[in-house]
Amino acid sequence: MTGAKDANEFALLGRVRRGDRGAFSELYRLYHPRLYGYLRRLLQDPATVEEVLDDVMLVVWKDAGKFRGGSAVSSWVFGIAYRKALTSMRAERRYQAPLDHSTDAETVASADKQHVEWIRAALIQLSPDHRQVVELTYFSGFSYQEIAEIADCPVNTVKTRMFHARRRLKVLLPALAGRDKEQDRERA
Amino acid sequence: MNAPDMLPHEKAAELLPWLVNDSLDEVEKVAVLEHAHACVICRRELVDLEQLRDSIWHASASLPTPAPDMRNINARIDGLINRRSWGRNLLSRIRDTRPNSWRIAFAAQSILMIVLVGLLLWPEPEYSEFTTLTQQNDLPDGLYVRLVFSPELAQSDLSTLLEEFALEVIEGPSTRGVYTLGMAESSSVEDRDKLVMSLQADSRVLFAQPVSRESDR
Repeated sequence: MTGAKDANEFALLGRVRRGDRGAFSELYRLYHPRLYGYLRRLLQDPATVEEVLDDVMLVVWKDAGKFRGGSAVSSWVFGIAYRKALTSMRAERRYQAPLDHSTDAETVASADKQHVEWIRAALIQLSPDHRQVVELTYFSGFSYQEIAEIADCPVNTVKTRMFHARRRLKVLLPALAGRDKEQDRERA
Repeated sequence: MNAPDMLPHEKAAELLPWLVNDSLDEVEKVAVLEHAHACVICRRELVDLEQLRDSIWHASASLPTPAPDMRNINARIDGLINRRSWGRNLLSRIRDTRPNSWRIAFAAQSILMIVLVGLLLWPEPEYSEFTTLTQQNDLPDGLYVRLVFSPELAQSDLSTLLEEFALEVIEGPSTRGVYTLGMAESSSVEDRDKLVMSLQADSRVLFAQPVSRESDR
């Protein structure tokens, strides 16, 4: 996040605080692609994604006055999205049917596509907290300090969650696991 | 081997994901790169992490983003504004009206009615779900234990302990440092209870309890 970009977002939020609908539209359009991408990767149903995204932006409209500028605007907005997504993910997890990996493998033609499917399937199996750290790092490009602000937890917790998420992904991802076995054989 | 002023392996290894997403500050970046240059494990890990980053980007590229549609959010904001201005209008009307006994009686009656209707329609408060450390919330089928490790335990010692007891981190740490650990599929409830007793006796563990399922109770 550059300083100029954050200053612009901070100014927009200031106008939103005074009830400026034009500034809110601008902020909504600015965040829509990032929030949609982030939420779409965490939640299964596109309709739920739109609903959660609007819930997030409604909180931004209502609570703009509570933002004191202690963090970047993006960390504050993503912090709201993080909590909303966590609630929805837990609800989805409770009701979703387990993934059928055999069907995935049959329908995906190329090796690249198959790898992408493996990645998706592996990420879905991570716990909501682990998955959010991976997504916020690799998809949204946040630093570990920003993720700590977003998740409202100490930076060491972020690092530890990432450590365990990486360990688990290594077990879950057949491609990486397969390569590791090859390397083990080479070393032996 | 680390030079005396070089970043220790454990510290460097935990920062690798943020070297890959290019969000480390210059000082950290130089320190991690310097370590990775001398450490074959970190170099291998970097390649894996770059592959993971590319795959995640690749996976996200196939998910189209629709154009922003603000109709729903605008309607919700209009609703909020209307509710607020209705309240303000009512207050200003009451203020502008010269009081006489009939009007005061009518206003009092109206307020009473609004309060009564409001009490009837007030939604049930949403209490946050009460959970205990031994409760199984939304975990898939299997046997789990909840653990809090000693704060002095290093990441590598934690990994050794997990391997020693054949446990896998499913969730955690929570903000209170609680981990949910999964046991091997072939384990029985008796195995789990024995494991919990061993963990409780282990000085590296502060807290260990089985995660209860409905059928266990």
